[in-house]
Amino acid sequence: MKFKSLNRYLIVAAIILTTVSSCKKDPSNPGKEYAPNMYLPVGYEPYKQEKANPINPMGLTMRLPVAGTVARRNYKTSFGESDSAQVDLMVYNIPADSISVSERVLKNPLPVNEQVTAEGKVLYDRYCEHCHGATGAGDGKVGAMYKGVPNYASDAYKNLNEGHIFHVITYGKARMWPHGSQINPEERWKIVRYVQKLQKGA
Amino acid sequence: MNISFRTDAKFCSYLSCSKIFIAILVAVLLSLPNLVSAQDSTAAAGGAAAAPAGGGDAAKGEALFKNNCAQCHSPTDERVVGPGLKGASSRHDFAWLTKWVRNSQAVIASGDPYAVKIYNEYSKAQMTSFPNLSDDDIKGIFAYIDKASTAAPAAAAPAGGGGAAASGDSKGEGPSDLFMIVLVALVVVMLLVLGVLVVIVTLLSKAVSGETTDAAKPDFMTSLGNSLKRISADPAIRSATMWIFVLLVLKATLDGAYSVGVQQGYAPKQPISFSHKLHAGEYKIDCNYCHTGVNRGKSAHIPSANICMNCHGVIKKESPEIQKIYTSIENNQPIEWVRVHNLPDLAYFNHAQHVNVGGLECQNCHGEVEKMEVIQQRSSLTMGWCIDCHRKTEVNTKDNKYYDKLVQLHAGESKEALKVADIGGLECSKCHY
Repeated sequence: MKFKSLNRYLIVAAIILTTVSSCKKDPSNPGKEYAPNMYLPVGYEPYKQEKANPINPMGLTMRLPVAGTVARRNYKTSFGESDSAQVDLMVYNIPADSISVSERVLKNPLPVNEQVTAEGKVLYDRYCEHCHGATGAGDGKVGAMYKGVPNYASDAYKNLNEGHIFHVITYGKARMWPHGSQINPEERWKIVRYVQKLQKGA
Repeated sequence: MNISFRTDAKFCSYLSCSKIFIAILVAVLLSLPNLVSAQDSTAAAGGAAAAPAGGGDAAKGEALFKNNCAQCHSPTDERVVGPGLKGASSRHDFAWLTKWVRNSQAVIASGDPYAVKIYNEYSKAQMTSFPNLSDDDIKGIFAYIDKASTAAPAAAAPAGGGGAAASGDSKGEGPSDLFMIVLVALVVVMLLVLGVLVVIVTLLSKAVSGETTDAAKPDFMTSLGNSLKRISADPAIRSATMWIFVLLVLKATLDGAYSVGVQQGYAPKQPISFSHKLHAGEYKIDCNYCHTGVNRGKSAHIPSANICMNCHGVIKKESPEIQKIYTSIENNQPIEWVRVHNLPDLAYFNHAQHVNVGGLECQNCHGEVEKMEVIQQRSSLTMGWCIDCHRKTEVNTKDNKYYDKLVQLHAGESKEALKVADIGGLECSKCHY
């Protein structure tokens, strides 16, 4: 008798478990979490927010810095490494509409060597190549769609100086939009080196 | 158009009498002299005489055009960034064109009405100046434009015809697949109908022929029923079946329990249906272009709207999905992307360490993002998954003095290469603190 009733209980349990575990997974449902208080951050984290923040506008936890302030880690004024390091403050002080000032004043503080050009190429491939093309001929895949991407080696562009190129990366020009928020000044100078190589039709 | 611009230009000062000027102009147009650089003649002659005497060298012009102009101008009347240049040489005299090409801003500043009009029409986009192009270069470029603009329709027609023929061919192939499927389906249906018919026919024939065969059938059925009853009555077999069933269910339950907190396959609907397949796959935009934090810090960064605007400030503005970005910018309202890869707060993870130092590709953990229409979590992101990779992955110690002594020490103890696990990749406090 006992054995029989055990069997019956087992079957009932099995049926219940089958129905519970056989729920089909919905792709837009992240699923269950065990002890969610260990999963969710206690402190404020970027890109992770469970509840609307009662103090900030639009319930955001992230806020813009106060206007006019500069995060110190983004305000690098010394370029290059050890002995050849140079201090340059001008890169932050030329307004967007003064490209001619950039052309006259800005000088690339990075040393002239293969390493800088090679690092510039890596950055160029990341941030520029899809429009400007691998050889700077304006034939990138996005460039073909976007239109109006110039050829670096063409007469009107091959003699533009480093200050000009730096300014265009920072603030954009004509159809190109500013890329200063994505690429920091040191990286921009590295890209400038590589672009200058492409201007010579490398 | 022609005449009004001619009179606008400086020719007035040379020729005070406008009647004489117009007469000469007509003569000029009719006789096609060198001054107009023969573009009209090429237009009239249908491109047969591409580079007559005094006109530019169209071959050289083509190279110059592709190098300097093609990025913004089309030789047809298609509008690219700047206006299409078809017939430009008949709209303006050569002197005007030269001035414009060498320094368009100066022409606009001089108050030339057409220049100002076109400048405003193209939302005040400045054309690059080409002061280095010689008269011959510019003549060549316009000779090429006239040749290309007259040749283009002729070239397009056979191409279009060919395209139609090709599409016709592909149409011929396309339905053939469908046709095959339909054919197979029909055959299957016919076989089924045939089977049903056979059954009906046999039943009917049995009914007609009498009940002679029925005597054997109950015999078989009852014997089958009896044997089944015997088997099910056997307690050993009965409980064995039950236990197997219970164990299987238990296994499924345990698997289900282990998937608690694992979000593999999570692919939520995003507020804007951004396609990685299009951007990263088709257009080959580097992951770093938008996810700028990936080699700088803990988070890879969700790009803010200004990065979208780097392209979509200009292209695809009419798409309803991109309109959502504009709305969000105008209202200063952040776009609420749904985070897909959620690591629990109890585990620390840093993108820069894995991408910069470890040299991992994004796809190692995130799967083939460049093929995903909707982003999906491909890896389980469990601790076992992390540890597994740390145990298997060799450290790139090449040309890195930091590792020299470690490699030496490790070589003394083990014959295997230095793995991440050997340099603390399994320490609890690396990720949990």
